[in-house]
Parts: sequence; structure tokens; C-alpha cells
Amino acid sequence: MGSPEELQETGEWTGQKVRIYPVTRIQGRADIEVFFTPHQKPRGARFRALEYRGFEEMVPGMPALRGPSVMSRLCGPCGLTHQLLSCLAIESALDVEVPQAAASFRELISWLFLAQSHLLTMVYSVLPDYALPMSDVSVRNVAGIYSVDREGVSRLLAALAAFTRAISAVAGLPAHPSVVVPGGTSYLPAAEGLHRVSEMLAEGREDIAETLRLVEMLTRRSSRMIDPGPPLKGFYVTTSADGFADINGDSVTISRFDGEERRVVDPDSFLDMLDKRPVGWSYLVPVAILKGEPCLVGPMARVNLGFGPEAAWACEERARILEEWGAPLDGELLFFTALALEVIWAWENASRLLEGGTISGTDSCSVPTMSESGAVAVLETPRGTALHWLAMDRGGAVAEYRVVSSLQLNQALLDDHLTSVALKEVGGLEISDITSQRLQFAVRSFLPCVSCGTH
Amino acid sequence: MYVATAALCACGGCHCSLMTVGEPFIALLADNSISYSSHFVDRRTIAPSDVVLVTGGIRNAEELEIASEIGRTSRKVIAVGSCAVYGGIPGAGDIPPVEVEDGSGLPALLPRLEPLDTAVPVELYVPGCPPPPNLIFEALKSVVEGYSSIRFDSTVCSDCPRRVQRGPVRRWTLHPGTGVHGADCLLSGGMMCLGPVTRGGCRASCPARGAVCAGCRGPSDAVLSSQLHSMYADMVKYVGLTCGTREDKVAREMAALLRWMYLFTRRDPVTRARIREKVVDG
Repeated sequence: MGSPEELQETGEWTGQKVRIYPVTRIQGRADIEVFFTPHQKPRGARFRALEYRGFEEMVPGMPALRGPSVMSRLCGPCGLTHQLLSCLAIESALDVEVPQAAASFRELISWLFLAQSHLLTMVYSVLPDYALPMSDVSVRNVAGIYSVDREGVSRLLAALAAFTRAISAVAGLPAHPSVVVPGGTSYLPAAEGLHRVSEMLAEGREDIAETLRLVEMLTRRSSRMIDPGPPLKGFYVTTSADGFADINGDSVTISRFDGEERRVVDPDSFLDMLDKRPVGWSYLVPVAILKGEPCLVGPMARVNLGFGPEAAWACEERARILEEWGAPLDGELLFFTALALEVIWAWENASRLLEGGTISGTDSCSVPTMSESGAVAVLETPRGTALHWLAMDRGGAVAEYRVVSSLQLNQALLDDHLTSVALKEVGGLEISDITSQRLQFAVRSFLPCVSCGTH
Repeated sequence: MYVATAALCACGGCHCSLMTVGEPFIALLADNSISYSSHFVDRRTIAPSDVVLVTGGIRNAEELEIASEIGRTSRKVIAVGSCAVYGGIPGAGDIPPVEVEDGSGLPALLPRLEPLDTAVPVELYVPGCPPPPNLIFEALKSVVEGYSSIRFDSTVCSDCPRRVQRGPVRRWTLHPGTGVHGADCLLSGGMMCLGPVTRGGCRASCPARGAVCAGCRGPSDAVLSSQLHSMYADMVKYVGLTCGTREDKVAREMAALLRWMYLFTRRDPVTRARIREKVVDG
């Protein structure tokens, strides 16, 4: 069965379509279109981005040194990674070596933001799907859950507060922190400040552990209430280092869900593999890899590849969870668990960096000398793999800028999965609130970030 | 009270900032009723509300329709973030048309992004990219509880722990933070910090950490106090004082940096007239 677009092109599709608008509890504005046969049977479904950002068109002519702080504004939840990607592309193009202390400080901030972003998603977007999936709309939200289970929500919020306070201490604002600059960081925190952050994270440990317990309990309960849908097919993709998922990894690992194929490529080769496939029905441009086979980026992909041995607690919990649910994680229901696991992963790595003493010194930035050049950088945003490529002119102005985001990479698999769920759950042209929520749950499990996607 | 939030052409950073408030924010939502919010609630229509927090500017026909509907159905609207208040970075440039399928139903793009108050009367403005969490929450709480919100009439510079070192600057740079050590003023180090002309309230979050103030909270009250002031004119004056250099010489040196002073505010009606006069094109 073809996609709705293919069906329309071939004239095979002549039925009606139903629109679910807006898709709620996601980042950005989007809808779902469900297509029906002339006999009113569901035929396919697709997710559409309804907004356009236009940053790629805006930055040419701008001084590249100011590029990272502008590109950070692509997205709130993933802003830090876009800023870092922009810096890395500039540094790679100009052959700048970032001071070790600054590199460690960047890594610390990245882990803190990963955890903060995941916990915000878990509390505000995902929790209602697991805690009160069948409830009325007036209760099925974080405030409704808080009214009936203050203690549970408070646990999650306490874990969130640990990371938010840590970010506030070292990076300032909870989105678009200005401290990541081309060539390094704008400052290095004093040992005293780092010690305070270390204490904040230590205080949050128990809440983070309880968060995973709560998430597992809700996932087990949901698995008895919600049909988990068909397993995901295709590839999972993540940046990696030494064979493990790494948000700052220098290579990209592409693995088949069935385990039959795995390849590791460098950022330049990854760029060559990407194929933009614009569609006329969405402001998002899907990107295909490996001749168009669907792929998944994001927390489940990273959990599937595995965490490095430096994160012993996360590794132990991951092994236990994979034993319970089977490897690899290929069911949408398990993305909540993947988020919780990554919070532990982030907590451990941030704590390790704080204890390691590598974020010290006075040299925080190697100021680049501008020249005509260009380069690519690949990193993991909280929601999955993203890529920035830029070219600069002799004066250091941006000549061309290209971004590939996680939602662009996920779009094909998301639409495939959405179609599978629609075929199973949608009975006719009247789509109930429960069915609509089921379709939106399928969308949310891909952590779509429309702002990033429609850069 | 019926409370709502809406995002137009926004990155989500302002909502992130608000959400990090955590328990006090959720308790406020639980004590009131959320009439709609695509971030938090599954309601699909814009319902009458006592207060609506709106982030993002207006870039397409759908966002214009949402803003107008909010205007029709809400008692008080709070514009949150520099995109809603001034147009922000997405408003800094015109957007070329994007090809879409006929009959796709995708909202048509407007030629440029406009601030929220071009479509709907705004009760409170909370600029920033993003505004600090406490400022957004305070604005919301003040409307819900019916008291006057705090007004910040300071500048970023007045909250900054760094101290001005008077002396000449050899070369100005657009680098956002070269790692100036200790407590030296970033302007003294030749970096284009807009702290002296930017609205305070953020506790000088960026310059305190060695990064320039990019002016995300927009012009300070002093800049807005008279038509004789502008971010550019006032910066020239401050830099002249800081460096002990004649103002006309400073003005010449800073001309190339001028357009980056208005990165967050170029769509603001208050500053737009001045920008047209002063920004160097290209």
C-alpha cells in the first residue's frame, strides 16, 4: 500500500480525508491527515508541519561568528545543540582547536540540557498519555494529574528542578544559553560553582531513580491497556563513539532493527548519504538515507546502540529493561522508558565531568581567524540526530547554510507507523477522541520538533 | 480564572522557560482552569479566557487567524518573548515564498513576520529570548491574582557584575564572547555588548558569563524615553565614554556592526522607523 501522496499521484486514492488539528502536546504546530477509501475504510495517514521558520534563508550574509547564537533560535528544546552544531561547523571549517576545558564544559552543558529537555517532555507532554490515557480532556493534562497525584508529579518535578538549577548556575537561561561560542565557551565556571552544581545533581539522584521506577510502572500498566502497535522497521541512527551512542560522538552509526546490518560513517559520508525529498503538502522537507529506507533517530535509537561503560548505572538499568522488553527497543510504548533511561545517562555523565576536574583553567576560547571555507557537523539533539553544514566567504560571512533535523529524518518512519496505527484503530470517518489520541500518541513517540524540522 | 497559552511562530524556548518554573506553575494551572494550550492540553478550539500567554510572532495566515481569535475571546493577553513583542530573530529578514501543493491546506506565508500587537491588543509585554522563567511566571501570576506586575526600568549593564575599564579599544569584534577574564567590562575588551542600552531584568545572565548581551530584551526605558535616543546613538555615546574616544570616530568604527544591534527588534514599530534610517544594508 502506497503513501497517501503516491495514491493521489496514481489516481488510486479517490476517497475522503479527515484532519486532526492541531496535534497537541508536541513542539510546534502540526496536523494529522487520515485518508479513506471510497468505502470509508482508512487507507493511510500522514503528519504535516504547518509552520515555516526560514532560518536557512535568513543567515546568508550574516557574520558567521554570530551564526551560532542565531541558529540556537531554531528551536527552544534543541537550541543548545543547534548552537553547538553551528560552532562545530565553523571550528571544523577554520581548523580551530577548542581548549580542553571548554570542550568539557560544553559537554557538561549538553548533558544537563538533554536531561532538562527530556524531563520537560516527560512531565508536560508524555505523562498524560500514560497516567490518565482514557480520561476526559479536562483531566488528561499535567495540572489534572497534579490534582489527583501530587506526589508522583512532584517527584518528576524535583528531578527536573535539579537540572534546571544546575543549568541556571552554569549557563544562565533555560533555553538559548549564550555561553557556547565559536572557538570554545565564553567563560569557565569557578571550582566553587562547579562544586555547587555537583551537589545539586547529587540531591536529585533519588528523584531520578524514582522517576525511572514510576515510568516503568506506568509503561507496564499501559502495555495492558494500549495495543502497542506494530514494531518499527528500518534503521535506527545515532551519533556514536567507540561503538556506543554518544551525544557528542564523532561518527554516525546506522543499524537495522533486525540486527542484520550495521555501518559506521563519518559526518562527511553521512552528509553524502542524505537525500532531501520535498513534498508539496507540508512545510517540512523529509530527508531519506540509504535509498529511502525509513529510519528512527532519538532516544530509542541511542538506547538501542547502548551507553558507554562510564555510565554504569544507566548501562545496568538498560540491560534490565532490554531483558524485560526485548532488544532492540522497537515499540512506541517504550519511548517513555528510553527518555527516563537517558536522564540517568545524562546525570551520570554530567556528574562524571563535574568530578573529573577537567573544567578548569583560564583558557576558554580560541578565537577563529575567518577565511573562505566550509564544513559539516553532526550531533545529537535531545530529539535525535541533526546536522549543520555551512560555507563562509573570505570576509567570514555565511555564504550558504543547511540544516537537517531529527524530524526530517524521522518523517518517513513516522508516516509509515502512523498509517499502521490508523489502519488498525480508525473505524470510519467519525474519529473519536480516544482514537485521535491514539494517533497522536503514535506521533508523540517520535518526539517531533516542528520548529527544528521547518528551519 | 480561565488561563491559556498559545504559540504562534515560535521556537518553544519561551514555553520551555515557563515550564522550568515547575511546581508553582503547575499548581497555578491546577488552581485555575486551562481553557486551551496546545503544549499542555488536548483541547482543539480557542475558548474564552481571562488571560492568555502568547509566544511567537505572526508569520502565516493561520497564525494571524489564531491571534485574531485570541483577541476576540480573551480578557487579557500577555506577549511573551521577543518574537511576540518585537518580531525577534525570525522577524529580522523577509522570507522568500515557499512552493506548496494546490489545495494542500497549508497556511499561506505572509511577506514578513509581525509582532503580536499588530493583530491583538496586548496587556503586558515580557520581552527576552527567552525571558527568565520568573519574569514570565510573575506576569502570569500578577494577572491571575490581580496585582501590578514588576516593571524593570534598569539596563542589563546596571545589573552586570563586570566593571568598566576606561581606555582605548584597538579593534571591535563581532565574536560573542572571547573569554574575557575576571570582572572586566566586555566593551572594554572590544566586544559589542549591548548591555548599556538593553532592558534589564535578566540579571545580566549573558555578560555575567562572559558572553555579550545581544539585546534580546529590546531597548531600555532610557532609549525609549525620547526620539533623540536610539540603541545605536546611545551605544556610540557609551562606547565613546568608555574608550575615551570622540563620538564621531566611534560612530564610524561601529557602522559595520550596526545592523546586528537590532537583531531582535527590527519588526518593532517603535524602533522600525529608526532602523530604516540607520541600518546599513548588506
